[in-house]
Amino acid sequence: MIRYLTALAVLAGFAIMPEVIGEYYVEIMILFMINLILASSFRLITTCGDWSLSHVVFMGVGAYATALLAKFLGWPFWGTVLLGGMASAVVGLAVVFPLLRTKGFGFFIGSFALGEFVRLIWVKFHFPFGGPRGMIGIPSIELSDIDFYEATPYYYLVLLFTIGCLAVLYRIDLSRTGRVLKAIYADEDLSKCIGINVARYRAMAFSVSAFFAGIAGVLLAHRLGAIDPKNFDVNTMVYLVIWVVVGGVGSFWGPLIGVAVMMLVGEAARPLAEWRPLLFGGILIAFLTLLPGGLDSLMSKVRELLDRRTADGTKEN
Amino acid sequence: MAILEVKNLSKNFGGLMANRDLNLEVEEGEIRGVIGPNGAGKTTFFNVISGVYKPSGGTIKFDGTFITNLSPDKIAELGAVRTFQRVALFPNFTVLENVNIGRHLHARETLFGAVFGMSKHMEIENLEKSRKIVDSLGMTEHQDELASNLPYGLQRALNVAIALATEPRLLMLDEPVAGMNPTEKAEMTRIIRLIRDEMGMTVMLVEHDMRTVMNLCDKITVIDFGEKLAEGLPQEIRENKDVIEAYLGAEDIVA
Amino acid sequence: MDWPTFIQSISNAVILGSIYAIVAVGLALAFGVMQMANFAHGEFFMAGAYVVYVLYALGGMPFPAAVISAFPIVAALGMVTERFVFRPTRGNVLAGFMATAGVAFILQVIVGQVWGVGLMRSVPTPYMGAASILGAQMSWQRLIILPSTLVMVGGLWFFLHNMKLGKALRACAQDVEAASLQGININKITALSMAISGGFAGVAGALMAPINAVTPYMGHSIIVTAFIVVIVGGMASIEGSILAAFILGFIHTFVTTLFDAVLATMAGVAFMAIILVVKPTGLLGRVRM
Repeated sequence: MIRYLTALAVLAGFAIMPEVIGEYYVEIMILFMINLILASSFRLITTCGDWSLSHVVFMGVGAYATALLAKFLGWPFWGTVLLGGMASAVVGLAVVFPLLRTKGFGFFIGSFALGEFVRLIWVKFHFPFGGPRGMIGIPSIELSDIDFYEATPYYYLVLLFTIGCLAVLYRIDLSRTGRVLKAIYADEDLSKCIGINVARYRAMAFSVSAFFAGIAGVLLAHRLGAIDPKNFDVNTMVYLVIWVVVGGVGSFWGPLIGVAVMMLVGEAARPLAEWRPLLFGGILIAFLTLLPGGLDSLMSKVRELLDRRTADGTKEN
Repeated sequence: MAILEVKNLSKNFGGLMANRDLNLEVEEGEIRGVIGPNGAGKTTFFNVISGVYKPSGGTIKFDGTFITNLSPDKIAELGAVRTFQRVALFPNFTVLENVNIGRHLHARETLFGAVFGMSKHMEIENLEKSRKIVDSLGMTEHQDELASNLPYGLQRALNVAIALATEPRLLMLDEPVAGMNPTEKAEMTRIIRLIRDEMGMTVMLVEHDMRTVMNLCDKITVIDFGEKLAEGLPQEIRENKDVIEAYLGAEDIVA
Repeated sequence: MDWPTFIQSISNAVILGSIYAIVAVGLALAFGVMQMANFAHGEFFMAGAYVVYVLYALGGMPFPAAVISAFPIVAALGMVTERFVFRPTRGNVLAGFMATAGVAFILQVIVGQVWGVGLMRSVPTPYMGAASILGAQMSWQRLIILPSTLVMVGGLWFFLHNMKLGKALRACAQDVEAASLQGININKITALSMAISGGFAGVAGALMAPINAVTPYMGHSIIVTAFIVVIVGGMASIEGSILAAFILGFIHTFVTTLFDAVLATMAGVAFMAIILVVKPTGLLGRVRM
């Protein structure tokens, strides 16, 4: 019961937020929600034990897809967002296929190499991707009479998408499919011997997560109005890794907490200016050496302590 | 009809012949024991049959189908499932959830179904079947406990439960009573008999514990240095001179 | 391609391969000894270049002295990284690798804030002029890289095979438990490996300082190539890294000459992906990725 009320409260908070905060913060919240989709979709891959260094490239695939379709072919938003996601899913399948022979560090480095290959395609070809300068003049979204150039309407659009994407990812996590992924991570040999086609599930997780990264990319492209290959390079990828490490991937909410905490830290540390990446680097090192499970693992430790405290057997919930 | 036909099976590890020209036939409904001194190649044998290793030579036929180079999940799908010598389970899930994961082959879930919660029907059925398996193994009172919290003997029982959930035709148990006390051994023996008698499965087990093997098995195959040394009824094996010699000095050949 | 261009390309490829070799050998050594995968290896390269910038271009020290100084300075960086990043994450390759991404950020920021970002620092060329070899023009600045590589790689080989500490290093790479049972101090070995690893990257950067543009981000391009080389060669294999370094040096040079640098990087990356699929242990390696 408490959970539903909290969820409702959070949703209500998000709903009225644009009225309360200034336009600058609305823009930040838009980026925040896009990053939530990115981080949550990344977590799907880690559920079965794979860590990828190519995830932001799939955001790029979605971004470039919508840019090309909207700018050159005049496609409407619903078409481009669907195709952006699909394009990312397809490229994701192509990328993960050779990687299935690797795991752990090999998978990580291999995913980086293949992601970089895709990204270099955008750098190399001025037509149609615009080369190193990227693409500008991405048309803003047109739906009925609402002008999505403004921050507030865009905020609500992204809010709807975020709720939708997170809901789907959450359902997958709770489903049998989600359990199979976790089983693969826990004991791959056992999983194989009870009939689980591990390769197929790893590929599916990778491709689905790429799909959502693509959606995030579409939303990003139409907000920024311009994209270039540097938006999706290894630097950005490291930031995603930092969010996910800080939050932890043990639970569904971990990466979301990580995004929230790190974006707050980022905002609070604005006075540090060019010294900010140093802080982020230090935080990454600190978490990986001292609290590798992230804030998530802190939460479960706290929960464990609380469970133990109720000595008369009744469990806290 | 022989449910498992192994012909001239060999497994070479870069010069080390772990299995050499093994021939074996297991009849449906049998309980077959595979014994041999340490390092004889028994677990390698299991690993090859279950697809974890690829054989260097020979063929394996299961229920009329060649499974020689298939992947472990395909072989499990066909109905041949093995357990592991080590404790193999899903630590962060409860006993019931562990067995339910074992229902994978009988729970087709598509991505769409996962998101929109279809196949609720199948899920209820699977949970019921899982509960029955947990009951038949005497673990009902532990069904909501985390698998990692169970005592060793129950964890080994859980291994068997997960394998049973796949509804195999052939169950291959790798040292099912290793490290167990007499009570646990007796319980496991009861379970294995139940699997054959009431569930109609064929069982093949690798074991070192002679008492269990002699009690339980219809027929015994002895492997030494990767080759088949002897094969026959427990009584015959007990009196076989070559077998006794291979085990010379070992204490487990107490009658 | 006409003959002079061909010879020019060959010599450029050899030089490039040499630099790749110095960088990759350092990476392979650290990985071979204790699975330490250093994301900041490119930043160590960059640090070496800045050592030359500060000591030679700003400080007036003779060029060879500045290059040699890069070794101990960046070696120290390596040891600090080992102590505070790799040692706590020992056993978890991914965690160590990700954590060194943090080290990369830190080094980039410090260097950028102290000596400035944006404007590329150019280091005056100590050795002007060129030699003419078989019709190709090779600047002396580039040519000195060859003997430097030979000295460093040769020196390392000698160390690993003929000196007690070097043999201990190889023992550790083969079997950590056996090595520690023999009384080898593992922490000393890992520290030493990262010192050598850093030193090598630093010297490579130092040698390239007059040739490349010196910026805090010059490590970016080298890290991609370094890992490609090491993976193609076989993650823990030093011989493999050297072989792969020259193969990739040739691929990169010829593709750049025939097409452009972006395509050359793509070719290198594609080559790495193919190796990962076809022979995951790399050309000469044994460690399965």
